[in-house]
Amino acid sequence: MLKKLRKSLIWYIFVAPTFLLYGLFVAYPTFETFRLSFFHEVATRQEFVGALHYIRLLGNRVFLAALLNTAFLGIIFLLIIIPLSLVMASLLNNLRVWPNLFKAIYFLPQITSTVAVALVFSYVFQPNWGLVNGILRQLGVDPLPLWLAEPRYVLTGSRATVTILAVWVALGYYMLIFQAGLQAVPAELYDAAVVDGASPFQTWWLITIPSLRPTFIFLLITGTIDAMSRFSDLWMLGGPAGTPARSLQTIVLYMYQTAFESNDFNLASASAVILFVIVLALTVLNFRSFLGREFSGQSGA
Amino acid sequence: MATSENISTARPVTSWRALLSSQRNFKRAQQVIIFIIMAIGAIAMIAPFEWMLATSFSRSANVAMPRIPRFWPSDPSIFNYKVAITNLPLVRYYVNSLIVTAASTLGYLFFSSITGYAFAKGRFVGKSILFIILLTTLMIPFEIRMIPMYLLMRQLHLSDTYAALILPFISGGFGTFLMRQYISAIPDELIDAARMDGAGEVRIYWQIMLPLVRPALAALAIFRFMWSWNDFLWPVIVINSTDNKTLPIALAFFEEDHRTNYNLLMAAATFIVLPVLIIFFAMQKQFVAGITMTGLKG
Repeated sequence: MLKKLRKSLIWYIFVAPTFLLYGLFVAYPTFETFRLSFFHEVATRQEFVGALHYIRLLGNRVFLAALLNTAFLGIIFLLIIIPLSLVMASLLNNLRVWPNLFKAIYFLPQITSTVAVALVFSYVFQPNWGLVNGILRQLGVDPLPLWLAEPRYVLTGSRATVTILAVWVALGYYMLIFQAGLQAVPAELYDAAVVDGASPFQTWWLITIPSLRPTFIFLLITGTIDAMSRFSDLWMLGGPAGTPARSLQTIVLYMYQTAFESNDFNLASASAVILFVIVLALTVLNFRSFLGREFSGQSGA
Repeated sequence: MATSENISTARPVTSWRALLSSQRNFKRAQQVIIFIIMAIGAIAMIAPFEWMLATSFSRSANVAMPRIPRFWPSDPSIFNYKVAITNLPLVRYYVNSLIVTAASTLGYLFFSSITGYAFAKGRFVGKSILFIILLTTLMIPFEIRMIPMYLLMRQLHLSDTYAALILPFISGGFGTFLMRQYISAIPDELIDAARMDGAGEVRIYWQIMLPLVRPALAALAIFRFMWSWNDFLWPVIVINSTDNKTLPIALAFFEEDHRTNYNLLMAAATFIVLPVLIIFFAMQKQFVAGITMTGLKG
C-alpha cells in the first residue's frame, strides 16, 4: 500500500503546479465572482445583500442596452461570417493556383494585434480622409457616410463598421476551419453523387453542407463565446463607454466600466455571473442540438 | 456541365473531342472566376495594411491627411519610426512584451506537457476526476474571472508587475488536454522499455516524451505566443505604470495622447504587427497544421 502510494507520488508532483494555479486563477476567482455578486461593500466590509445587484442590473438601462448590443452584434456577425466563409472556403478548395498564398493572406488580420487592427480601421473609416470614404468620393457618393460617428441602426453606422471589422478579421480563420471540414468529407459520397448524375451545386448543397455539421457546431459554439466576450476592438474604437451614444458598448465593456471606473466590483461581478449563465446556456444549447442529431442520425443508419 | 452536353449533341461526329475541350474550357473559366473572386478578397485583406505602411513612411507628421488615399508614401522617410522609438519609448515596451510573452509561453509548454504526461500515462488515485475538474477551465471564460483575479493580484502585491501578466497564464486546461491526447497515442512499450533500463519518470518525460510531442508543442507555442503578444484586456486592467506596459496597451494609450499624429501612430502600429508577421510567414506550415489540429486561432 505504502509502496503503491510512493509510486504514484511522482504523478501527483507532476500535476500539482497546474492544480495550484488552477485553484488560484480559475476555481477561486469563479467562486469569488459568484460570492461578490451577492455582497455589498460598506466601509471596507462586505455585507450580504442577496439578489440586490441582480435586481439593480435588470432595471438598469445601460446594462440592458449593453446586453442587447452584444447579442445584436454577435448574431449579425455570425449570420454574415458563416455563409460567407463557407462559400469562400468551398471556392478556395477548388482553386488550383496559389491556394496556400490566398489562405495566408486571408489569415493575416487574424494574427495581427487587435489594437493595431482597430487603430488602422478607425482611420480606414475616418469620414473626412479615410480610405473607404476616399474611394467613395472618387465614385461620386454624396453625402459620404459617417461610419463610426453614426450611432443609429443603419447600414453605414458604427455597428455596421465594427461588424465589417469583425468579419474582416475572422474570415481567414473561419475559412480555414471550413476547409479542414471539407477535406474530411468522405470521397465515396462525392463518387456516389457523380454516379447519380448530381450537378456540382446539388452535390454541394445535398452532400457537402450536411457533412459539415460538426464544423458548423464548432464554429457556432466558439463564435458565440467570442461574440459574447467581445471587448478589445470596441474599447479601441469607442472607449469603455462604447461611444458614440453607447452604440458599441458590450457586456464586458460595461463590466470594465463598472469595476474599474466606478469601482463597483460587486455590481460588475453580478454582470459577470449573468454573462457566464448566458454563455453556458448557449454552449449547452448548441452542443445538445449537435449530440441529439448525431444520435438520431446513427439510429437511422 | 450543361454546355458540354449541348455541344456534344450538336456535333456528334467529333463528340468526345468537343466534350473534352469544352469541359476543359469550362474548368478553365471556373478557375478564372474563382481566382478573380479570391483576388478581390485578398486585395480587401491587404489594402488596410498597405495603407498603414504607406502612411507610416510618409514624412509629413501632424499634417492633415490627403483627401485621396495614397498607397505610396509621400516624401518617403523613416522619420516616424525614429520618433516612435524615442518618444514612445517603443524599445522599453518591446522588452516588456518579449519577457512576458516568452515566460508565459515557455511556462505553458512545460506545465501543459508534464501534466498531460501524468494524465496520459500515469497511474494514480483520482486521475479521471482531476482531469474532468481541469477541463472545466474550458467552460469558464477569462472575463468571468477577471475581477477577483485583479483583486487577488492587488492583495498579493503583484499588480503592476510582470508576474501578474505571466503567472495566471502558464498553465491551462486546453494545453493539458491537447498534450494528454497527443501523449496517449504514444505506445506504452516505449515507456516500459525505458523503465526497464531504470529511467525515472522525470527522465522519461524529458528525454523521451518531449522530443516525441514536438509537433504539438510547436502548435501550442505559436498560439500562446500570438495570444500573449496581442493580449489586451488583462494588461489594461492589471498594469498601470508607464514603465510596465506591454506593446498593445502602450499603443492604445499612445493613441489617446497623439490622436492626430496619424503617420506616427501608423509607424507604432507597424512595430507591433511586424514580429508576428515574420513568425507567421516563417512558420506558415506549422501554423495551418496547428489550427486544424487544435481549432485555435491567434
